[in-house]
Amino acid sequence: MKHINLLISLCPFLSLLAQPNCEAYKYYGDTLKYKACKKAEQIENHYQFSKKFQEILDESILIDSTFAYAYREKSVAYLKSGDFMTWKKLIDKAVKFEATDNLGYRGWCRYQFFRDYKGAIKDIEKLDRLVDYNIGQSINGTYHLNIAKGLCYKAIGEKEKAIEILEKQIKLNEVEDFVGAYDYLHLGVLYLETKRFKKAVETFKKQSENNELAENQYYLALTYLKLNTPIQSKSCLEKAKELYIRGRKMFDPYSNPMDKIYLEDIENEIKTAYNTGSRFTSP
Amino acid sequence: MKRKMKKSFLILLLAILCNCQLEKKASLKGKYLRWVGDIEQNNQIDETEFKVCNGDDKILQYFNLGDGPIYTGEKSKILNTFKSKYQPISDKNQNGLIRIRFIVNCEGNAGRFRVLQSDYEYQEKEFDKEIVSQLLKITKGIENWHVFKRNEVPVDYYMYLIFKITDGQLTEILP
Repeated sequence: MKHINLLISLCPFLSLLAQPNCEAYKYYGDTLKYKACKKAEQIENHYQFSKKFQEILDESILIDSTFAYAYREKSVAYLKSGDFMTWKKLIDKAVKFEATDNLGYRGWCRYQFFRDYKGAIKDIEKLDRLVDYNIGQSINGTYHLNIAKGLCYKAIGEKEKAIEILEKQIKLNEVEDFVGAYDYLHLGVLYLETKRFKKAVETFKKQSENNELAENQYYLALTYLKLNTPIQSKSCLEKAKELYIRGRKMFDPYSNPMDKIYLEDIENEIKTAYNTGSRFTSP
Repeated sequence: MKRKMKKSFLILLLAILCNCQLEKKASLKGKYLRWVGDIEQNNQIDETEFKVCNGDDKILQYFNLGDGPIYTGEKSKILNTFKSKYQPISDKNQNGLIRIRFIVNCEGNAGRFRVLQSDYEYQEKEFDKEIVSQLLKITKGIENWHVFKRNEVPVDYYMYLIFKITDGQLTEILP
């Protein structure tokens, strides 16, 4: 856990994008791209927001104006500072020159930073059409890109489609023993929102086994209320509060994840429950 | 004499033109500040009372400390503030993203606010002034931003809010 925390705290300073293999360009006789790539390698140890980092990549692009990696690396600081216009211009160039390497990444960033649901769906689906292999995870590893796509469908009101996508992808993730940290939670919330309460309970229980979170207990409490089991609901709310205070809650270093709740939400729910009295009395 | 003056004038003009060109080249070369997105103090638009504590060259980004975006009273407080204060403008043409970026100093005060506006296709656009001025006023009115510390020392950092506007309605606030 200590190591994970250290990694998380370092991540905002590091580039998570894979370095290209310059030698491969040389091997295939693309000397211009090889030179641009070697130049781009010099960004190592420079912070992605820094002047030097940006200047090195400008030089790389001057050598080969079709070198996608340089555009993509340049775009990151604009993405993280919320400069959506400059980011989009740069990442579009990366997609233009290396579509299959960058479509999934652009789609994920559209969702993570700008909640551009329709744009994210478009990118992820286009990638899926272009390749015949697994489209893989989001750049931060939190979700399979299909789960992210499902969340985008939910956000634009297509909940049934979202459920279908999440159910399918989670099954595949289970086979590979690689279920995402929030996968069951999101599916459980979708079941709750579409009034499939028993399925919701089952799914939240799976989330508890996989990665217990304040959000999970909070939504489980809401589900128990719908099932007229207030005692369980109360117990879940108390657990949710305890987990929240201990920091066992959804987290993203740059944004607030979908279905995230705040302490105020838990406390309000507890307050409402106590005010309505009978909600929490034994049957 | 006249011819000499004309010649001197032409030489002077040429020199000025060359100088301008050089300046243009220099400004192109120096197009980056210390970090992408750095906001320099502009006394024409920024409040002069606002000061950063540790110098402009030490201002961090909100995510540099690895704790994610943190708001005093959590994000729900920000959401409630805008929900109660923002008056929507009903206009089908008001769609897109508005980013307000600023610096939070070591005391949790904010300053040097800058606005960026685009449509949902990420193309620059100008929103109705009433929308932008409201968002700016409400953002400036938020007191006590979270104080981030590094090695127990409070730092200055860049923060932003992105507002998603659909038909003049405020639909989401990020991050």
